[in-house]
Amino acid sequence: MQDDQPAAANGMSKSDILQLPLEQRDDIIIYEGVHKWFGTFCVLRDINVRIKRGEVVVVFGPSGSGKSTFLRTINRLEQHQRGRIVVDGIEMTNDIRNLDAIRRETGMVFQQFNLFPHMTALSNITLAPMRVRHMPRREAEEAAMQLLERVGIPEQAAKYPAELSGGQQQRVAIARALAMQPQIMLFDEPTSALDPEMIKEVLDVMRELAATGMTMVCVTHEMGFAREVADRMALFDEGMLLETGTPEQIFNNPQEERTKTFLDQIL
Amino acid sequence: MSTTTAERFGPAPPPPAFTVGWQGWLRMNLFSSWSSGIVTIALGVALFFAALGGVRWLIFTSDWAVITDRVPLYIVGTYPREYYWRPEIALLLVSGLMGMAWRTWGGPARGFAAAFGALVFVVALIPYQMDVLYRALLLAVPAAMAGGYYCAHFIPEQSRTKWFGITGAGVLIASLLVIAGFSLPGIGSPAGLHPVTESEVGGLMLNLLLAAFGIIASLPIGIALALGRRSRLPVLKFACVAFIETIRGVPLITLLFMSRHLLPLTFPENIDVSLLYLSGITITIFSSAYMAENVRGGMAAVSPQQSQAGEALGLKQWQTTLFITLPQGLRNIIPAIVGQFISLFKDTSLVFIIGMLDLVEIGRAGLSGKIEYSDNGMEVYLFLALVFWVFTFSMAYISRRIERTLGVGRR
Repeated sequence: MQDDQPAAANGMSKSDILQLPLEQRDDIIIYEGVHKWFGTFCVLRDINVRIKRGEVVVVFGPSGSGKSTFLRTINRLEQHQRGRIVVDGIEMTNDIRNLDAIRRETGMVFQQFNLFPHMTALSNITLAPMRVRHMPRREAEEAAMQLLERVGIPEQAAKYPAELSGGQQQRVAIARALAMQPQIMLFDEPTSALDPEMIKEVLDVMRELAATGMTMVCVTHEMGFAREVADRMALFDEGMLLETGTPEQIFNNPQEERTKTFLDQIL
Repeated sequence: MSTTTAERFGPAPPPPAFTVGWQGWLRMNLFSSWSSGIVTIALGVALFFAALGGVRWLIFTSDWAVITDRVPLYIVGTYPREYYWRPEIALLLVSGLMGMAWRTWGGPARGFAAAFGALVFVVALIPYQMDVLYRALLLAVPAAMAGGYYCAHFIPEQSRTKWFGITGAGVLIASLLVIAGFSLPGIGSPAGLHPVTESEVGGLMLNLLLAAFGIIASLPIGIALALGRRSRLPVLKFACVAFIETIRGVPLITLLFMSRHLLPLTFPENIDVSLLYLSGITITIFSSAYMAENVRGGMAAVSPQQSQAGEALGLKQWQTTLFITLPQGLRNIIPAIVGQFISLFKDTSLVFIIGMLDLVEIGRAGLSGKIEYSDNGMEVYLFLALVFWVFTFSMAYISRRIERTLGVGRR
């Protein structure tokens, strides 16, 4: 299929594509009829969605609706059982080389940060570039320092996660994911475990990241962030992708009754 | 500018007087109520009379000749006198290693090395009948430490730990070979290292040799077994489970018996493996089964989200284990590991069952050997207890220091 092809196949560089309006860009994530069960319980039910290169998608919905599982099937932390997933032109199969390639394409940020507590912030960031990309230590550390500056905490490089505030830990986690130079960033409720004072500093980093043209899929209930940054919003309920639309459509003119009631509950 | 809350309301009030200072401590901990006051006084009286009896015995009754007359026996057993320089060479090697540890980590290693060096130095100065050469070798222990210290000094800082490991393994093997000696078929004993029979390697030296060997070998074997048990490959998993549960189901004494009487039947006829090596291997195997379960427990306590984070970064599964879950798992169980080492050290006294003369056996043999010593059991066992306590306490102390050092950045 023509529209499965990554950008390079169409003879355009990534930055050229990002100049195009969203509708004309290539699809970086494609879901066709994706199902997943935990035992006999259907967590994902016939998911069909196409996400454009550079698009920012906010995924929301009640707990247990399958939104986190959806996110985790994008980098195959969870395997789907029916349907088809293509990430940046790589078809999701059981082939381990495909898996490695997709993991290189995607970076993930978790609700509980999941920094490695026995390593300094700097080592947390340099580990994967050194061990997976075989980058020399010096180069990896320079890159890590640049990333720490980008997320605003270069002075915390030598500290251990336990010595950092929640917001700082989450910013290190974002830097750690960015260090692998992913095409897609996945955020799994990145601000849900944070004190109110620290949510803003993490959202600011995500906002800047979105402005650089990064493709982002964020599970979050920060509706202010969604309204301001998202190109599209997607409501999950009982394993189904119930409604997608621009923030404008979702907030002002939702098509589904469920979207309306859910928004009423959280706003 | 608005003032802070503390500026508006002034400093917080001090705690009530009866909760601070030594009076406060006494009141809170010993006399917090009528009943606890009575218990405190009763225990105090009991302790006083026990101490009084102990001091009386120490001053008027005890006779330490049973120890002082035969110090070398307790330290090296019936090791041939003309070869005493060989354990001393091993001691110098180990001292050099301690010096390296001092330079590499400072802190607990420094305290331990200093205490050990001082102890040996004092022992070497005791006016005891000893050859000048042997005394000189003992006095050279601090020099060996300094040598190790400066060797480490000239190694670049980031590779010191690695070189300490390599040197440590070398020192252990060299010590074992130099103490036990060896003979190669057709060549004989190179460098005049005549083999010493297993019953001649004894005393504290035997306990320490077996413990050092067991400790250093059982940790990596235990880790390997634990990883095997967590593996998804059914055959590997089953083999590890079978090994661990079999070994844990059998008393160490039984294993020692088997190593002496059954294992040699499987060797070719002209090969005679010293009991020293057999018992060392047996203790290692025994300890590594327990170590494996400790390690498994420690790794199970690491959140599965940690390995997911590693996977999401594109690390391979073995890399996730090696760099993320294993280090955290091991840090979780430092107290359990050291506890295992301590019990291993004490278990080395069980080798008397296969006819080896460890420290405890030497003490017992001393009591029954001479009629004038037969009443001195108290002195002998107190002495043995003290020696074991000094070593196990040092291990516990170092463990606490390591925990504190690694505790930096704990969740």
